[in-house]
Amino acid sequence: MLTLIKRIILFFSLLIPINANAIVNQTYDFYVNDSANILSQETEKYIVEKSSSLYKYNGSQIVVVTVKDLEGMSIETYATTLFNNWKIGDKEKNNGLLLLLALNEREFRVEVGSGLEGILPDGKTGRYQDNYLIPYLKENKWDDGIKSLYDAFYNDLSSIENIEEYTPADFNKLNKSITTLIIIIIIFIIFIKIKFNDNPLISSYGRGFSSRSYRDFGSSGSFSSHSSGGFSGGGRSSGGGSTRRF
Amino acid sequence: MKKGLIIAIIIAAILLISGISTYNSLVTQKETVDSKISEIDVQLKRRSDLIPNLVNTVKGLMKHEKSIVDSVTEARSALVNASSTAEKLEANTKLTEAINNLYVVVENYPDIKANANFISLQDEIAGTENRIAYARSEYNKVAKEYNTKVKRFPTNIFANILGFDKVEYFEATGAEKEPVNVNFD
Repeated sequence: MLTLIKRIILFFSLLIPINANAIVNQTYDFYVNDSANILSQETEKYIVEKSSSLYKYNGSQIVVVTVKDLEGMSIETYATTLFNNWKIGDKEKNNGLLLLLALNEREFRVEVGSGLEGILPDGKTGRYQDNYLIPYLKENKWDDGIKSLYDAFYNDLSSIENIEEYTPADFNKLNKSITTLIIIIIIFIIFIKIKFNDNPLISSYGRGFSSRSYRDFGSSGSFSSHSSGGFSGGGRSSGGGSTRRF
Repeated sequence: MKKGLIIAIIIAAILLISGISTYNSLVTQKETVDSKISEIDVQLKRRSDLIPNLVNTVKGLMKHEKSIVDSVTEARSALVNASSTAEKLEANTKLTEAINNLYVVVENYPDIKANANFISLQDEIAGTENRIAYARSEYNKVAKEYNTKVKRFPTNIFANILGFDKVEYFEATGAEKEPVNVNFD
């Protein structure tokens, strides 16, 4: 009996993807998740305040994350996945920046949103790490290192103004759904007209067709199930940035 | 008679409309797949463009390691001359090996190791490698969605008639593969 229960538990545990919860989640503050618990309250407050004002100023976002370990992933994969899960930066401009520290692996990665690659090429992010971060991290001075690297990027990003216009509505999608609606209405009208003929065979055909085509058109638009925790703007990274060991 | 005609017209109209919508969604998905391929190509091109800079930076200081430097140049021209994306990716794997061999030798040259230009190039090259890996996994994702659609009933009937074939995957090879570390805790 016990072995049966064990087997059932084992079976269900196999159904759960191993890395399902491997990537850390957003926090309420969004701009900091110190899951390795190495940053002081002041540093966290400093980052949240500065990042919030930067976001108000030009829409770009700097996020700092520390993790105990990378769950067997490479820091590059971890950073890109986290970046795109959290959707750091604006959806249109992709102007997010992620600073990720992995404590056990002693690795640091700067992950750049694809819209910032012009201002922050990989070589520059590497140089910033060498100059402002690594000397501190080698002595385990987490607060000092992250603050000084953060400031370097903050100065760069706060020097750019809001250049691009944000385009609000997706016109193509709107058009498409209107066309779908019109087709559905036309089919509905035909269906009603046939039904009025009082022929059971025809009316059942009509119903069949109508529901079928409704499903075909209706399923074309899918809803995003992403639950956004406050500030995430929908930004993406395509894997740009640089990695350092310390 | 009249009723029969109406039904026939409706059937034809519905077949036509669902055929058009299937065709359109297949076209859209195929275009997504193609755009992901071109993203891989863009990053491969970017990577091959960085190599001459790297070679020029180290060449002067590594006169005794000519064969190692030359093997990087050769691997680069193989990448430039490759035609299909699959061939390019294969050439890129060989280029990565050649670059890594070079880096090993550079360890003996403190002047190069500390050279700002060299460090920056190393970051750029590693960055493009990472972008290629990301673009490839994104491609595989949309390719899988597209292939599933092409093979699934009833889309497969339209796909067959309209000439939509399934596309190949770009699997990671050798050194580029992610280390798999399963943690049971």
